[in-house]
Amino acid sequence: MDFLRQSLTIARKDLLIEFRSKERAVSMLTFAILVAVVFSFSLDPAVRSRDIAGAMLWVTILFAGMLGLGRSFTLEKEQDALVGVLLTPIGRGALFFGKFLANLALLGGTTVFIYLVFALFFQLDLMAAAAGLALVTLLSVIGFLAMGTLFSAIAASTRLGDTLLPIVLLPLLIPIIFFGATAVQSLIVGRPMDEIAGSIRVLAAFDILFLFVCTVIFGKVVEE
Amino acid sequence: MSGPDPVAQSPIPEVLIETTALEKWYGPHPAVRGLDFKLHAGEFIALFGPNGAGKSTLLRMLAGSLRPTRGEIRFAYGGSDDEHGWRRRIGVLSHQTYLYGQLTAAENLRFYGKLFGLAALEERIDELLTEVGLSNRRDEMVRGFSRGMQQRLALARTLLHRPEMVLLDEPYTGLDPHAARMLRGVLEKLRDGRRTILLVTHNLSQGLELADRVVIQAGGRWVYDRPRSEVEPSTFEQLYGERVGGAV
Repeated sequence: MDFLRQSLTIARKDLLIEFRSKERAVSMLTFAILVAVVFSFSLDPAVRSRDIAGAMLWVTILFAGMLGLGRSFTLEKEQDALVGVLLTPIGRGALFFGKFLANLALLGGTTVFIYLVFALFFQLDLMAAAAGLALVTLLSVIGFLAMGTLFSAIAASTRLGDTLLPIVLLPLLIPIIFFGATAVQSLIVGRPMDEIAGSIRVLAAFDILFLFVCTVIFGKVVEE
Repeated sequence: MSGPDPVAQSPIPEVLIETTALEKWYGPHPAVRGLDFKLHAGEFIALFGPNGAGKSTLLRMLAGSLRPTRGEIRFAYGGSDDEHGWRRRIGVLSHQTYLYGQLTAAENLRFYGKLFGLAALEERIDELLTEVGLSNRRDEMVRGFSRGMQQRLALARTLLHRPEMVLLDEPYTGLDPHAARMLRGVLEKLRDGRRTILLVTHNLSQGLELADRVVIQAGGRWVYDRPRSEVEPSTFEQLYGERVGGAV
């Protein structure tokens, strides 16, 4: 019970600060629109956009997420607030989970916005597969953010900071990207849910593994 | 501090912290070397030393936020991994405030109070904001506060959970005379013979004013450790210079 209460306290604080500064949300949403504009100009008219929508959506979600993750621990560095938090009795796992929940809320909202922008720009009919898309995207984003939250803490404590994050994070996300993007693509082109059941199970397994491992090792990362 | 204070009511062990051969190295550079000491409940210790003496490193180890390279710290209530609630018993005030600029004064205290799981939190926040003279700024963003106001709010954060031991790392840095007087007043109130206070400072007179034990740290070692009653203020600056190798 303490774990959840402490995690929600951290997440609420992060979201309140974001609500006031709008730093991360503005950059993520602006980035999403710009990527959609770039794709719409650069695509060959002969290519049907629904045939490559999965890849376009995933590139946008992934890099918009990176933008948000880069700032996740920067606000803790001002006035050494992270040290202050570590001096309280909060469990390190609860601190990790709180940061993860705040990132999930932020990227979750951004992802809904990305789907709407791409549906508008590329005339994608996503309503027929909305439930399946929501499930696959949520599972993929959970795995992405579990690793992303851990590595943003590591990156924030180095001189390279935001530059380091995509370099170390992207290779580790290959399974999530592969199963997530292919499942999204299948749903957009109208394949049945049965066809992606295996991908959903694999994504769920990665989520559990990533969340468990990252929660356990987060304490070692932030304490020194 | 008004209101019920658990430190004033609960039994406190005689020795709060004991260290054995405590060392901290950053790569090949020693910050703290072979420290053996005991901190007794109710003591007010003034810890002096030049820059780079390892004072802040020692404080961070005592607070449980930094692991020693070698040696041991024994807390009266168990290890520093907080399984015995050491972090609930300690408050740290540093030159960094540990505050969030985009939260208000009250929101900052509410956030930390929730992490400590404090009951009657709103009353405690009102009490502390009044104590540090910020009750009329409670709903203003901290980023708009002066350095002195931020440090006063940081003091409220430090005392929020009524810690048994208070670690103060150069708390007077950047304070205007009014804020410095306020801090001194709060420290006097905290000096109740039960609460342990460790004050790290460069300012010899400020440290000697309140302390009942005087320590000089140089090169990571304690080179002087005496009761305040044995210290002669008029010659202490000269003694300090000799002990730190003329680094004054």
